[in-house]
Amino acid sequence: MGINLLPIEIDEVRKRLRREPNEAEWKVIDAVWSEHCSYKSSKILLKSFHMEGPNVIMGIEDWQDAGAVDIGDGWAIVVKIESHNHPSAIDPFNGAATGVGGIIRDVISKGAKPIALLDMIRVGDLTLSKNRWLLKNIIAGIGFYGNSIGVPVVGGELAFDEMYNDNPLVDVACIGVVRRDKIVPSVVNKPGLKLVLAGLTGIDGLGGASFASRKLSGEDEIGAVQIADPFAGKIILDATLEIADKVEAIKDLGGGGLAVAVTEMANGLGVIVDIEKIPLRVKEMNPMDIIISETQERMLYAVKEERVNEVCKTFEQYEYPCSVIGEITGDKTIRFRYNGKEIVSLPSELLLNPPRFLWPIKKKKKELKKYISSSDIELEKALRSVLSHPDLVSKEWAYSQFDYEVNTSTVIKPGEADSSVILLPNGKLLAVKGDANPDLCDEDAYECGKGIFAEAYRNLASVGAKGIVAVDHLQFGDPKKPEVYYSFLEAIRGIGEASRFFNIPIVGGKVSFYNENSKGKEIKPTPLIVMAGLVKDKFLRNKVEENSYIVLIGYTRGELAGSLLSKIFGISSEVPKARLQEDLIASELVIDSINNEKIIFAKDINRGGLAFALFGIMTYGYGVHINTRDILSDTDNIIDVLFSENGGRFIVLTNDPQWIVDKAKSKGIVASVIGKVNKDSGVLSLNEIKINLSNLINYHFNFLEEVMKNG
Amino acid sequence: MIAIIKFPGTTCEFDVFKALSEAKIPATVVKYKEFDPDKFKGVILPGGFSFGDYLRAGSIAANTETIKDIKRMANEGKPVIGICNGFQILVESGLLKGALLPNLKLRFISKWVYLKVVRTDTVLTKGLEKNKILKMPIAHAEGRYYVDDIEYAKNNMVMQYTDNLGNVTEDANPNGSLFNIASIANEEGNVIGMMPHPERASFKLTSPDGSTDGLLLLKGLAKWV
Repeated sequence: MGINLLPIEIDEVRKRLRREPNEAEWKVIDAVWSEHCSYKSSKILLKSFHMEGPNVIMGIEDWQDAGAVDIGDGWAIVVKIESHNHPSAIDPFNGAATGVGGIIRDVISKGAKPIALLDMIRVGDLTLSKNRWLLKNIIAGIGFYGNSIGVPVVGGELAFDEMYNDNPLVDVACIGVVRRDKIVPSVVNKPGLKLVLAGLTGIDGLGGASFASRKLSGEDEIGAVQIADPFAGKIILDATLEIADKVEAIKDLGGGGLAVAVTEMANGLGVIVDIEKIPLRVKEMNPMDIIISETQERMLYAVKEERVNEVCKTFEQYEYPCSVIGEITGDKTIRFRYNGKEIVSLPSELLLNPPRFLWPIKKKKKELKKYISSSDIELEKALRSVLSHPDLVSKEWAYSQFDYEVNTSTVIKPGEADSSVILLPNGKLLAVKGDANPDLCDEDAYECGKGIFAEAYRNLASVGAKGIVAVDHLQFGDPKKPEVYYSFLEAIRGIGEASRFFNIPIVGGKVSFYNENSKGKEIKPTPLIVMAGLVKDKFLRNKVEENSYIVLIGYTRGELAGSLLSKIFGISSEVPKARLQEDLIASELVIDSINNEKIIFAKDINRGGLAFALFGIMTYGYGVHINTRDILSDTDNIIDVLFSENGGRFIVLTNDPQWIVDKAKSKGIVASVIGKVNKDSGVLSLNEIKINLSNLINYHFNFLEEVMKNG
Repeated sequence: MIAIIKFPGTTCEFDVFKALSEAKIPATVVKYKEFDPDKFKGVILPGGFSFGDYLRAGSIAANTETIKDIKRMANEGKPVIGICNGFQILVESGLLKGALLPNLKLRFISKWVYLKVVRTDTVLTKGLEKNKILKMPIAHAEGRYYVDDIEYAKNNMVMQYTDNLGNVTEDANPNGSLFNIASIANEEGNVIGMMPHPERASFKLTSPDGSTDGLLLLKGLAKWV
């Protein structure tokens, strides 16, 4: 019958229902209880997150499609993150495109206008043609959908690791804006409302939620991938925003299709759906397939009877299907009828309360790898290897395929700084950034959870913004493997602690398990944080000028485990600790410096360490001279100093270095002048050594274009 | 009053509206089925993906009743401006000669480019100095202008892609357009198509260097409201 439930769950269903469900009912339970929809392996642990705050309007309440926070002047932003990892592995173009479509619909289901997208992409080794094919189509798919519906992709990440060879990670986040008092719920609280469905239902994406909740089988799974139609998506977007204040609840049809949407929308009440009233894309679909189809570009609205015509009239203008398919009832039962015959009748209570699991945990043993000491690595070799790593090269090839200027609200654009900045309808500026660090998480998921949260906070500070809200995406292997579940637990602990420390609520998130390669090896733990923050006063648009002083804020520590250098050379070293207080104060110092117009450039130090931060200055066509003795560090080893990725640090350019140093002291942290910018283009001078990196700078800008040219 | 036409799939109508407001030009967004040509002195077809760009970019919109009305306005000498997808609609409907082919790189390209004004007898460029350099973003997958009639292209081109000094080079040509053509107009200079987005270069805050060259073009409509 093709269901994915565990034997213990099957027993539980029979016990609680006191009868054997029919085939259609099994399929409904399979969809609603899927990991993808029910969070059965994660929900208990996720409860530990810091989810409340004075600005939170809507948090991770059950069955709300996205979280919302107040941004003042009567406005709210809605933030949501999603992944489409499994579909993108099979059909990268449609998989990635429907990922964008799905998240857009989550945001509009709150009545909010989507104003920005972020995409965080992880693929395998680019020397393999399969990975280039995946990347090319993932980027094209995101562009195809985002561009067509007029929502700018303002930033993201693109990183590489052979762990993702068979299982790319495609994460998209979306920000929406809505008047605070116009937020629409996704759930109803009274019977009698009519269920209105917009869009046609087809045979694509059958059983997609279940598919996303298991390992890729390697067999033909193309039928579980949905097809993207951004033109229909644009109509759904425009029409939904037109009718948002005429309906009682809005729900996107996503994973699990109608079965999940009606169950979640009813939120404990009952539903009756007449399947024959559902407009179909193909004739004679099996009624069971109609219930679980995940055809995109469909929305469900709960509408008062007297307003149904008004709502559907809006869709008629766009010549888009709109029909009443059923209603909310008071009998606490989810019913599907086909031509009068009841084919599904299940208690809401059963569907909404799947068994929750806490799987066994076991700490991973350190693999005995061959390690070398960092002092054995030659400086120039280290520089060339790290700075040419694909994670650090210019991503213009990717973001130039996105219409990042549509909406005329993108202030800091992709590739310009550590965060993107967008203009909000109330005139305020919002900075957004997504961060992950799978190499560090593979070493220590707890320190990594804290570290990525802090990194996102620093990235926002580098443009002048203070974080106000976060969403998380937790991507792991099979949760039933004790070592995987251990790292999952640790990552949650780290993220949760950091979120409490910074007092930034987590208002939403997503969990994606079963990410493995074809040999059954799980991906490195890849939790990801997307943070948004407001610019209170001034923002910084980076520029570089000759003779500016280079100031390093924060202590550099010789902790290289999980660093890019260690990934390339295999170095025996400690895991960098996340020292959140240093992150917080250093960020405050940078924001102060921006508001006092003391700096012209700011960069958070993370991947590639100090070396890459300095290289970033050089890509503007300048040279830098550094006195390494002036770097405040716990190690004299120049390799460790240049490539450590410990947090709490920024590089800033200033004409008033003393101001920064004094201000740092007054806040209880350190900053030191370590060098100056010169016009010796492409040359990195370390004390008396001059290293010409001009060819690396060309490589930096051309690598992706060249490697992707021939597909 | 200038009409900004919204087809299903149009994405830039409010951006154009905002930029025209910045240029102090009265305008309103009109859904294509509700367009009444007698109420307007000029029309802008904004960017986006009209009707999903199914079949070919701009081709379905080009065959609507709305475009028939707009042709009449063009014949009366009123300004008809097509930006990006609007330009594609103008060539698909025959209001301008030529075609907009897929970019040479065969992918969508979004970037800021330099343009040189080579014709100053059109509604939008009247009053600008000849050879003036403007900075504006492009964002399209099908923007490679081509026409068989070389003389037509040479005589009618309004703006060319250049480097920052105004040199017409192959490197400065983002999509492979004939003669680096970014914009072309009819002989009368009232029907103008352009791939770059002037409305996205109309606000100091969202411009990478604070320039607002798009306003220089849009202000040309001031005489027509």
